[in-house]
Amino acid sequence: MNDAVKSDNILLEVRNISLSFGGVTALEDISFDIRRGEVRAIIGPNGAGKSSMLNVINGFYHPQQGEIWFDGKIRHHMRPHEVAKLGIARTFQNIALFKGMTTLDNLMTGRIIKMRANILWQEVWKGPAEREEVEHRQRVEEIIDFLKIQSIRKTPVGKLPYGMQKRVELGRALAAESKLLLLDEPMAGMNLEEKEDMCRFVLDVNEQFGTTIALIEHDMGVVMDISDRVVVLDYGKKLADGSPDEVRNNKAVIDAYLGVSHD
Amino acid sequence: MSPDILNTIEVILNGLMTGVMYSLVALGFVLIFKASGIFNYAQGVMALFAALTLVGFQTGQIPFAHLINDMFGTHYHNWGVGFNNFIAIVLTILVMILFAWLVERLVLKHLVNQEPIILFMATIGLAFFMEGLGDLMWGANIKTLDVGIPSGGSFWWEDVTRTWASAGSEYYGMYIDVLDVWAAAIAVLLVVILTLFSQYTKTGRALRAVADDHQAALTVGISLRTIWVIVWSIAGMVALVAGIMWGSKSGVQFSLSLIALKALPVLILGGFTSIPGAIVGGLIIGVGEKLFEFWIGPLVGGATENWFAYVLALFFLMFRPQGLFGERIIERV
Amino acid sequence: MFYRESGDFKTSYVQDQQIFPIALDRVFVGIVIAFAFLVVPFLIDDYWEKSVLLPVLIWSLAAIGLNILTGYCGQVSLGTGGFMAVGAYASYKITTAFPELNMFIVVLLSGGVTSLVGIVFGLPSLRIKGFYLAVATLASQFFLVWLFNKVPWFYNYSASGQISAPERLVFGVAISGPNAPPWATYLFCLTFVVVFALIAKNLTRGRYGRSWMAIRDMDIAAEIIGVAPLKTKLSAFSVSSFYIGIAGALFFLVYLGAVEPTEAFGIDKSFLVLFMIIIGGLGSILGSFIGAAFMFLMPVLIKNVFVGGFGWSTDIVAHLIFMIVGGLIMFFLIVEPHGLAQLWRVTKEKLRLWPFPH
Repeated sequence: MNDAVKSDNILLEVRNISLSFGGVTALEDISFDIRRGEVRAIIGPNGAGKSSMLNVINGFYHPQQGEIWFDGKIRHHMRPHEVAKLGIARTFQNIALFKGMTTLDNLMTGRIIKMRANILWQEVWKGPAEREEVEHRQRVEEIIDFLKIQSIRKTPVGKLPYGMQKRVELGRALAAESKLLLLDEPMAGMNLEEKEDMCRFVLDVNEQFGTTIALIEHDMGVVMDISDRVVVLDYGKKLADGSPDEVRNNKAVIDAYLGVSHD
Repeated sequence: MSPDILNTIEVILNGLMTGVMYSLVALGFVLIFKASGIFNYAQGVMALFAALTLVGFQTGQIPFAHLINDMFGTHYHNWGVGFNNFIAIVLTILVMILFAWLVERLVLKHLVNQEPIILFMATIGLAFFMEGLGDLMWGANIKTLDVGIPSGGSFWWEDVTRTWASAGSEYYGMYIDVLDVWAAAIAVLLVVILTLFSQYTKTGRALRAVADDHQAALTVGISLRTIWVIVWSIAGMVALVAGIMWGSKSGVQFSLSLIALKALPVLILGGFTSIPGAIVGGLIIGVGEKLFEFWIGPLVGGATENWFAYVLALFFLMFRPQGLFGERIIERV
Repeated sequence: MFYRESGDFKTSYVQDQQIFPIALDRVFVGIVIAFAFLVVPFLIDDYWEKSVLLPVLIWSLAAIGLNILTGYCGQVSLGTGGFMAVGAYASYKITTAFPELNMFIVVLLSGGVTSLVGIVFGLPSLRIKGFYLAVATLASQFFLVWLFNKVPWFYNYSASGQISAPERLVFGVAISGPNAPPWATYLFCLTFVVVFALIAKNLTRGRYGRSWMAIRDMDIAAEIIGVAPLKTKLSAFSVSSFYIGIAGALFFLVYLGAVEPTEAFGIDKSFLVLFMIIIGGLGSILGSFIGAAFMFLMPVLIKNVFVGGFGWSTDIVAHLIFMIVGGLIMFFLIVEPHGLAQLWRVTKEKLRLWPFPH
């Protein structure tokens, strides 16, 4: 287990979040926190509100009630791109890559929040614009090496197989060098081998770059193996919160999520 | 009542009548959009094409006469005998069904699962193609269309309204075209028929199923391609009705295809998926542009009808992007 | 068989990020530009100027403009005609108000004015998408043309309601008005086209291009990774309108000489430019050139063959052209949505691998 988990250093905290669409309640009074440097899993059956939770953290949905604290500060109503600038990156359940662009361009777009050169320099492709382009290219190439996707660098991502697209999407999120990385079902639809690769990447990102990770995943084996703490949602409510072992043995969780126990 | 008020009432009435005409075209858009998610820009040209074909059958024109004459140096123009109204309309409906089938076979089939905007641009291409085809088949000259719908100002209405004016004021009664009243009645009838059709027939239910969810409809054994042919055929018939109305009113000519452009803001107001929306949207635009021209037009040089509908739609979009009757859009990731 | 990149190694990212990474391409483009600047001016005559070169150059510029908005940023606009009108009337007002002002500056300022108008009409794009936006852009088309038609200030209260380009000199040679020599008008337009095509290329391969394409491909994901939608869409509208405004100014000043707004800048022009980029290639600068040349020259060619060659009547051929254009649009959208430019790229790819088919 990661050392940082032991310190009580909290990166993100959601307090009493409630979200509804019209009359439908998606989240009800949810509170939990994410500590610096940990791998935090959010699990729950389909429709439990996991993706909605990520969308709230992203600033894509705006909860009717509750507070979000990030990096020691309370966060007020914010658009998603402002949240991205604060240092929260994300991958999506259904791959949301920019299909018309190459792998390289997708990753470079991930760094857009860090680019500054103004439009006049961009027009002539000289001075700061060119320097900036090369500098970010170097960082992106490091990520390409890390994820071992050198060979598809200049392939339009629409043409890549599913597993590779998932990897490129992780790369795009990594390119932002965020403090918090949200992964929405990073292993959905993968075979065993691809899952193992992806687990390795997630753990390496966490250890090498020290990035805090929150992930949604359905594969319990994976969740229990790689996460430090798990929060369980069901029908928009929080069922349990704790270490994988605690959650595994929680009666409510077993009933609601893993199926009613037979003992 | 003072003549001013009566004049305003007249403008509103005429606006309502024009609005009905817009609604007729918009109706065709809504049908296709609901069933296939395609925003069919060619709807206006379909009305033109249907009207041209109808006139061609009525007067016994030889299709492609000008082209044949140019190619072979001949001088054919006419069979010498035309069909009566009923047979001509039936034949035109058959042509529109054939057209629907061809569009499905040659275009739509290949564009399944494309983005809506690509489909939209493809229908712009379709509109250009049909405009050329219609003119090439039947000639580009302005034609009169008469299927026996009465037209001209109503003297009875003029007499009635004249008595409303306050005594001593100079007022000569309201002008209303009987044709417009007929058009309104036919539009109402059309909506009733379409509603009955979609509620109480098997095909109608299939249509609604497809409109709701393509995938689910496929899994219960509804053939999407058959549905598309049916929907485009129905839209073709609606286009024929619109074509007859507009054609009887102002002649069958190129500008008929431009009413499609007017139908677009109507749809924005009414929402793309709502039949009542198309009607109400049409009426709002019709009345709105006539009143604006009546009150504001003279101050700014007139011809505001050219843009009023679009600017109104634009402002409307800013505040209610889903239209009056559309459902609220919830975005998901 | 000579089209190879073996031996042409990149040792830095700067080299890898060039516009034309393959040496042979660079040489070829260099030769074309040199030919256009140094040889064509000596060969050009009135017919080539007015019937081929000027319109193709100017439409290319307009097509690049629309391609930035539609092809790169994914916002379909049917207001191109209206924005060209803004460029034309801006250049007219500026050059009649300041007759001494250099014409390069006049044209650039017209682009700037159009750019501002573009931003205003681009504002709805924040709330509305796809064909909703396309319909909204119709508002700009019809409103702007109506404005220039009805408000006398724009046409300096001239009796005809038209505007006509006064004679203006650049480096002592007329580039507008009836006495402008073909080579001068040609070089004037060519300069704008070459410079702004290069700028467009630089913008689209850098940060701006990537954020435009991100919005085009998946707007919600783009926003979540940090692309500001407001800024990005408005920058696309602004840059795009700038190009279209310049095209409109050149169209009026140098090419037509006199315009009447409803005829010169009608909705048909909006469709024409849209068709150019569909056929040439959405999201391709090269495609804008190919599409403009194709859409402008194809009807001329067909007309020459059928009217001149077979003696058909002009209106029959006009209908035929409508059918062909409509048919081609559907064909390209079905078969090759990336247009002629993609066919060109595929051919080059094949050439690189020749004689091995895979």
